[in-house]
Amino acid sequence: MATNVRERTEADRPLPDERLREVLRLLKLARYFDERMEALYRQGRLPGAIYSGRGQEGTHVGVAYALEPTDSLFPTHRDLTAQLTKGLELKRVMAQYWGRIDGYLRGRDGNSHIGDWYGNRTFAVMSHLPIAYPVACGAALAYQRAGDRRVAMAICGDGATSNGRWHEAINTSAIFRLPVVWVVNNNRFAYSTPNRGEFPIPTIAERGASYGIPGVRVDGGEVLEVYAATKEAVDRARDGGGPTLIESVSLRWRGHAGHDPAKYMPAEMLEDAMANHDPVRNFQEQLLGWGVVSEQDVAKLQGDIEREFDEGYEYALASPFPEPGDVTKGLWVEDGYWTSPPGRGGGTEAG
Amino acid sequence: MSGVAVEAGAAGHGAEPRGKRGDDGQATYLIAIAEALWEEMERDERVFMLGEDIGAYGGAFKVTEGFIERFGPERVLDTPIVEETIVGMAVGAAMEGLRPVAEFQYADFMSSGFDEITTVLSRYHYRAGVPLPVVLRAPSGGGVRASSFHSTNPEPYFAHAGGIKIMCPAFPSDAKGLLKSAIRDDNPSLFLEHKWIYRRIKEQVPTEPDVLVPIGKADVKLEGSDVSVITYGAMVHKALEAAESLAQRGISTEVVDLRTVHPFDEDTVLRSIEKTSRALVLYESFRFLGIGSEVAATIAERAFEHLDAPVMRLAPPNIPVPFSPTLEDAFLPQVADIEAAVERLSTW
Amino acid sequence: MTSIQMPQLGETIVEGTILRWLKHEGEAVARDEALFEISTDKVDTEVPSPVAGTVTRLLVAEGDTVAVGTAVMEIDDGAAGATEPAAPAAAEAPAPAAVPAAPVPPPAEPAPVAQPAASVAPVASLPDRGPRSQIVSPIVRRLAKENGIDLATLAGSGTGGRITKRDVLAAIASGGPPGAAMPSVGGPTGLAGPARVAPPAPAAPGAGEELVQVTHIRRAIAQHMLASLQTSARAWTMVEVNVEHLVRLRDAARSAFEQKYGAKLTYLPFVVRATCDALLTYPVVNAELRGDDLAMRRFVHMGIAVSYDQGLIVPVVRNADSLNVPGIARAIADLAGRARSHELKPDEVQGSTFTITNPGPYGSIASVPIINQPNAAILSFDAIQKRPVVIDDAIAIRHMVNLSMTWDHRSIDGELATRFLARIKENLETWDFSSELGL
Repeated sequence: MATNVRERTEADRPLPDERLREVLRLLKLARYFDERMEALYRQGRLPGAIYSGRGQEGTHVGVAYALEPTDSLFPTHRDLTAQLTKGLELKRVMAQYWGRIDGYLRGRDGNSHIGDWYGNRTFAVMSHLPIAYPVACGAALAYQRAGDRRVAMAICGDGATSNGRWHEAINTSAIFRLPVVWVVNNNRFAYSTPNRGEFPIPTIAERGASYGIPGVRVDGGEVLEVYAATKEAVDRARDGGGPTLIESVSLRWRGHAGHDPAKYMPAEMLEDAMANHDPVRNFQEQLLGWGVVSEQDVAKLQGDIEREFDEGYEYALASPFPEPGDVTKGLWVEDGYWTSPPGRGGGTEAG
Repeated sequence: MSGVAVEAGAAGHGAEPRGKRGDDGQATYLIAIAEALWEEMERDERVFMLGEDIGAYGGAFKVTEGFIERFGPERVLDTPIVEETIVGMAVGAAMEGLRPVAEFQYADFMSSGFDEITTVLSRYHYRAGVPLPVVLRAPSGGGVRASSFHSTNPEPYFAHAGGIKIMCPAFPSDAKGLLKSAIRDDNPSLFLEHKWIYRRIKEQVPTEPDVLVPIGKADVKLEGSDVSVITYGAMVHKALEAAESLAQRGISTEVVDLRTVHPFDEDTVLRSIEKTSRALVLYESFRFLGIGSEVAATIAERAFEHLDAPVMRLAPPNIPVPFSPTLEDAFLPQVADIEAAVERLSTW
Repeated sequence: MTSIQMPQLGETIVEGTILRWLKHEGEAVARDEALFEISTDKVDTEVPSPVAGTVTRLLVAEGDTVAVGTAVMEIDDGAAGATEPAAPAAAEAPAPAAVPAAPVPPPAEPAPVAQPAASVAPVASLPDRGPRSQIVSPIVRRLAKENGIDLATLAGSGTGGRITKRDVLAAIASGGPPGAAMPSVGGPTGLAGPARVAPPAPAAPGAGEELVQVTHIRRAIAQHMLASLQTSARAWTMVEVNVEHLVRLRDAARSAFEQKYGAKLTYLPFVVRATCDALLTYPVVNAELRGDDLAMRRFVHMGIAVSYDQGLIVPVVRNADSLNVPGIARAIADLAGRARSHELKPDEVQGSTFTITNPGPYGSIASVPIINQPNAAILSFDAIQKRPVVIDDAIAIRHMVNLSMTWDHRSIDGELATRFLARIKENLETWDFSSELGL
């Protein structure tokens, strides 16, 4: 069990102990959730698709943890962990996976295509990449106009940086000096395409220069490194200093989606990542080393997490399906569908 | 935000649209639209505009001339050439409580923002319950020798997206009242301003700031008894011209102006068909899959027992809008074509 | 017991192959421990166990390809019942329900003969008044039907002679088509024009009213009657018949007849007998109009209208033309009896070629019956009354009866109808039925 944890001093601890423990909980929850959901998927008990964020927890927890509750987050399908970090409830997330009325989107979308705008200021994920980047510009524009020091953050993957929208949005944000943080989760593969098929230069971070904004590259295996860089970018935006581009590098341990065996990924690459760049294990080791947690604390934490998952699963399966008669409701604001509680008569058996 | 230098003395700058009415108090379609924007910007400071060249330049058609001087660069935002991001920004700003009015320089360029319009703007409320009070404005339509990249009628593309209300007024008063309604409505709207009408049609237009035209209601512009012509946009004016000439030949034409094309006013249309029993659906977007196809199908489904003749459509062929005058005139329905179609129906 | 199924890994995957069992019968397994390896179009993967327990059964073999959802393994996890839904595939084939196709619908309640659907005729072809005179637009059809306008009587002012909405509206405004070619018909009840469709009555009863829902037999009768009026071009003719000697014959013979044949002797069998002869003599009256063809027959299936507790029914005496008076009497008695006791079979209430109704016993002296579709005519035999008549320029009292016939002017003309009735009259007045009675 060789680890490659860079030795850190006490001065590297950017957060008080209590918050460090919170970070550990989020990392472990994300990892456990990912493993259990994959198992359920393989058992044929999870409807639809799953998009694993395993191995990238350092990125996801690290960037989202730097945001305030009133800041907004514009994620993709792979960034569920960032949404959980932002504050989404696990059981309601699970209700969404199973298409139930208590999911955040009332069954109108599934799995990680999720968002909770009014509760946690996260934008409901859409499949097109990176279609939320321009929307983040709009939220940031509103914050700038109001002068309220709020920040928008958008996350996308390495593949999305090829798309015109990515450049358009970052370019525009730089011209208007918007309070936004642009995060790229570089997990080395866009479906089956490695980095060299998506950008012809060594890093994504250096692209920041072409827009006149800072570009930072961090090790996604080290959550505190990610957090520190993000906090700096968020503060810069809050203070009117404009956007920052953060490239957080890790590896996508699983396929693009549940059905993808990822045979294109070289075995040594995966082995090395799992052995030496596991953000969850690295951070746990770090906290144990610092004495911030004990082995018993870790065991208890794991127990709590497993219980939370099981309860969430039960909650999801007990939540009714949306009523078929509501299918055309909620298109226009005036029909009031979204401003009243949903019908709960859909039953728990799929038709 | 980068400031925009305003050159003193530039023609028209600083003058509000109301001051641009004729001596007789009539406003052109373009001025009526400018008045609506100005009045709504004054009424509600959450309303702001974004688009290309709308600030100091006053907009490609000068609709927003004088606005940046009055409302400042924060509320009259000049953007780079970023149609996707224009729409995306409108969505994000709307989610944070603002009421954006986004301008496309030409309706033809809306396709550059197709994804944000059809994937994000039109679907978000259905999926996640957050109202998006966004208005997209664009000069649309042809007949001005501007060829295929400056003559598009895009309403079919975006009607098919589902969650956007689409308006195509033909008269200045309707344009002013409808744009106000769109800005005050909490749903996404697409307000198409037919460029042929901009400076050619003028009339007395209300000056009271709260005179609204309801979204989704058609208007019978001319009552008649023999044939109903259901139409919108610039074609309304051609239909009225044809009706005048037909009247002299003893054929009484009713002209129904849809005003809003999605959703359209089925009841007014059906009442007209009940009266005349003959329907000509006239529209300027391509015949295939145009708004008129939907109107015709609805008439056939719901007014079958009232029909004394088949439901007919008159619209251009499914080809890029051509440039040369003889070609464009052959492409568009002309007054003579409308007359012939109405006559054929009345003697069917 | 938990049933493990072939999972669906990917939206388009419909089946999977078991590559290798990793756990076998009798082996213990922990939750999430791998049970078996599968291969699908998209991926080869291991399937982990959802429960902890002992593998009890392997339901398929290595190398088998099965549909998604098929049960492949059972695990005893100590749970009380099956915790997973049973596999949909394989297992019991549903027993096909043997539904013997009934040749005729069960005769639960006999209804008047002939399918109403067939007798709701489409708009009959219009007179050829131009190349487009046959086109009837929806509004024209509707206005004509609602206002009782016969389109055949309108000259169309539209292109090619088409009848336009305007033409129909004008006809309505002028109170009906000018110079209608309907035959003038007698009878106080009035036969001109098809019946209007009555607007549906309001649902709530008025003061002093009680709403009683009609039976479906009544509904069927209503439908049939209305359809009949809308199908045939009705006309009506009546003749008077001197049945003096018939009355005397019957009075004299009735008790012996009843004793011998076990059936009452009414006048009806005589009328049927006389009518059959007339039908065979004038077969058009016995024929059925089918589109452009007249189905001519050399037999008579006589429909006899019977009134019973549910309303009206018309059982059929088949091949009535081959029966004599006793035979007809027995047939009628049998059918009427079984009609009243609801014992008629389906084929006993259809297939008539002509129908006779006999309201006489109830007292009417003349009737305008409604044709029993798809017959061409219906004969009413009303009450026999003693009346003063002129014989050889002197007044005498005789038993007289009116025979009224409603007939379809599409296939029958007035002369034929009159001749036909005259033949029945002659038969009834001149035949000696006594030889037939066999007494």
